[in-house]
Amino acid sequence: MHVYSVITVDVEKCTGCRTCEIVCSLKNYGECNPSRARISIVRDERDGLISTIPVVCQQCAEPLCLELCPAQAISRDPQTNAVVVDEEKCIGCRTCVQVCPYGAPFVDPQTGTSQKCDLCGGDPTCVKWCPNDALHFVPADEEGLRRRRTGATKYLELLQTQGEQR
Amino acid sequence: MTYLYGGTILWVDLTTGTTSIRSTLDYAEKYIGGRGINARLMYDAIGPDTDPLGPDNVIVFGTGPLSGTAFPGCSRADVMSKSPVTGLLGDANIGGDWAAELKYAGYDHVVLTGRAEHPVYLRIRNDLVELRDAGELWGQTTYETRRLIQDELDDPEAKVLSIGPAGENLVSFATIHGSVGNAAARTGMGAVLGSKNVKALVVRGTKGIPVADPEAFLEACKAAHDQVKGADYYEEVHTIGVTNAEYAYVLSGIEAGGDGHEGLDFDPEGRTDYNAFWNKHGYKRTGCMGCPVHCMENYSVPGVGATVISCELYTQLTWEVQNADMLLWYALIRQCQEMGIDNTSMALTIQWLMELHALGIIDASLTDGIAMEWGSKEAITAIMDRTIANEGFGAVLAGGMKATAEYFDAHVPEERRGGRSTYWYAMQVNNNPMYGINPRLTSMSLSYAIGRRSDCIQDLDMHQFDSVTAPVYPGWSEEDRAHAVEHERELAYELTGKERAGDPDTTEGKADIVHDMGIQTGIADMAGSCKWHTKWLFLYLMPEHYAAALSAGLGRTVTPEDVERASLRVRNVERAIEVKMGRRRENDTIPEKEFSKPVSRGHMKGKHGVSREDLERMKDEYYTLRGWDLRTGVPRHQTLVDCGLKDIADDLAELGLGLEPFELDAGGADLGAGEKETAPSARQGRRPGT
Repeated sequence: MHVYSVITVDVEKCTGCRTCEIVCSLKNYGECNPSRARISIVRDERDGLISTIPVVCQQCAEPLCLELCPAQAISRDPQTNAVVVDEEKCIGCRTCVQVCPYGAPFVDPQTGTSQKCDLCGGDPTCVKWCPNDALHFVPADEEGLRRRRTGATKYLELLQTQGEQR
Repeated sequence: MTYLYGGTILWVDLTTGTTSIRSTLDYAEKYIGGRGINARLMYDAIGPDTDPLGPDNVIVFGTGPLSGTAFPGCSRADVMSKSPVTGLLGDANIGGDWAAELKYAGYDHVVLTGRAEHPVYLRIRNDLVELRDAGELWGQTTYETRRLIQDELDDPEAKVLSIGPAGENLVSFATIHGSVGNAAARTGMGAVLGSKNVKALVVRGTKGIPVADPEAFLEACKAAHDQVKGADYYEEVHTIGVTNAEYAYVLSGIEAGGDGHEGLDFDPEGRTDYNAFWNKHGYKRTGCMGCPVHCMENYSVPGVGATVISCELYTQLTWEVQNADMLLWYALIRQCQEMGIDNTSMALTIQWLMELHALGIIDASLTDGIAMEWGSKEAITAIMDRTIANEGFGAVLAGGMKATAEYFDAHVPEERRGGRSTYWYAMQVNNNPMYGINPRLTSMSLSYAIGRRSDCIQDLDMHQFDSVTAPVYPGWSEEDRAHAVEHERELAYELTGKERAGDPDTTEGKADIVHDMGIQTGIADMAGSCKWHTKWLFLYLMPEHYAAALSAGLGRTVTPEDVERASLRVRNVERAIEVKMGRRRENDTIPEKEFSKPVSRGHMKGKHGVSREDLERMKDEYYTLRGWDLRTGVPRHQTLVDCGLKDIADDLAELGLGLEPFELDAGGADLGAGEKETAPSARQGRRPGT
């Protein structure tokens, strides 16, 4: 079985610079416009503490958007396994926007159709540009293991620090 | 299609509540944007009689063609107004995310004129522009203001610039704050907003910035990103931060250069160790929109709260006032940001009071009963509280150093002041409290003296600065240090063609370097990107990078020479404004007491110590490079004409200024600023050992 890659997010590394948003809109619409970007940095800085979380389509195994689209405009790209919108078929009903747990799709006022991350055809621009290595494009079955390694590395570092102190 | 620009300059008359617009393209080719267009708008708007805090003053917020794009560090907005601190041209630059949002809403500049009858905030959402009541917001901190406005508009994405209570209270050095840690801090821009009854400017835009050739533009921006990330200094700023370098500068004796702690070692236990503080309380690294560097640190300290700190903030309310309590320092910085007051001005003012107290010139009776002992926590906090509130003795301080000196001079007999005004003891240039960088360093004295807003940050000679500070960088060996010093000397030689340009104990070549740095930072300021991404801070974007991005984005050829020429032009517009306000050669100086005093500590101890003659010689060289009259410091008529500023040249001529070169000027005649070739080469900042 071929395992396709997905965009994964390392929240701790994200500094909220929004380069991903700008290059996404440049690549897909030829303009710098975060409000049309298919990836967003959700930022909160109340009381001075900054949290920034990149939000992008997770290309679900069982996408609600695909299942519930009344126009059958959403399908899998056989090349990349990305969940993609056929703009010709899309009727702009916002069903996908409402059912997605991440809020990944949005209806673009300029086109009147649903827009979402299509992995740039298998070579996501945002991943290439992220200056802080917070975005990765990795095989879906490796994501879990990678995260475990990240967690374990921290634990190891702690152990080593304690060892040094002894 | 107005590629790369929002396309519109928005005027808001606060007195009548009416707005008008004009195309940015009327100004774009000549002044590019940001600081450039701001300067031109200011030239046309203010005069010597303009009251900085009166309704006749205007305040301009300007973004550049690269603001909000994929160009590295594209976050900047430039804020200009007549300064209540200097009475000259005020200017401050702010990062964060406000500038980009203004572009997305379709505007490049916002000009506020007049005065609102009651507190308001300006709200822009694409084509919607309105003044909304800010009665409930008056008195709120900058943090709270942002939250309350976002709640009121039910828009968590709204980007807010606001003043705090200090700006409302018309403290002359009040600031304007954006996203946490970002401020337009210098020269009192917050007081100007306060005087206009404007609490905040709130923007939300969804229009986007059109780009002529998106693919070529992405490529040009990528090359610029790679250049920044490939610079050897990048790794350090990116992972450790620039504040760490400040600590290094302090230890080497060239930061916290005030006279007060001359030779004093107030922190023998190393309590001011910045790295220790970061390791204990640091939360995460952060930065501005579109920036790969992330030079700032986000902290969370139990019992105090969270905030963002970067750069110079480290030295001022610690070393300048001999406070070794880092928790107090942190709380004070957070207070500055919440209340909207300039940390630098506040710290240097307190330092001055403490020195006057230590010298026995003032006592507690003049300062509301507060004894201004070095390092006194009670004194620091009480003075800050009163200044922000503009109450009691704080009302005197809120007027600035000069006004405070007049108050002291009226109350202290002349013999107790050493026969001088108390102003003589203040670390200021044109009443603007100085940064911590030591003005005794040869070229830094020139940077301060000719600094276009009377501080050294715009026209800093980084080569010399760095060649002397290199030794104390963390993890560097003796060999690394020698290597770095040598490298800086080579760079200085390469730029100036003068053998000793990188050496500390000579004036040779300093004017050339300071002049060149002014051009480089000017380009970034006009483009709307961060001036740290120039060779100024060794993040090494060159005019070629800006020109390439502008060409691809605008769809017309912009050459490196074009952007350099625009930078020269804009500096002359700014100088012309200042000249109209009365600035002359004699105003381009540093505090007299700093002359001929060598560095007092660190490994540079005993070196430098610029004399008055040294400074005057460097000024001669600098004015010659700029095409300014040697006797008066006024841009010569021909210089302005060569820069394409004939109307300004004629305007000054009508005032009897800048007409003909002074006799002394032999040899400088063919160096008109318009033709001056600076011939930069794409060099890479290189630091050994990284």
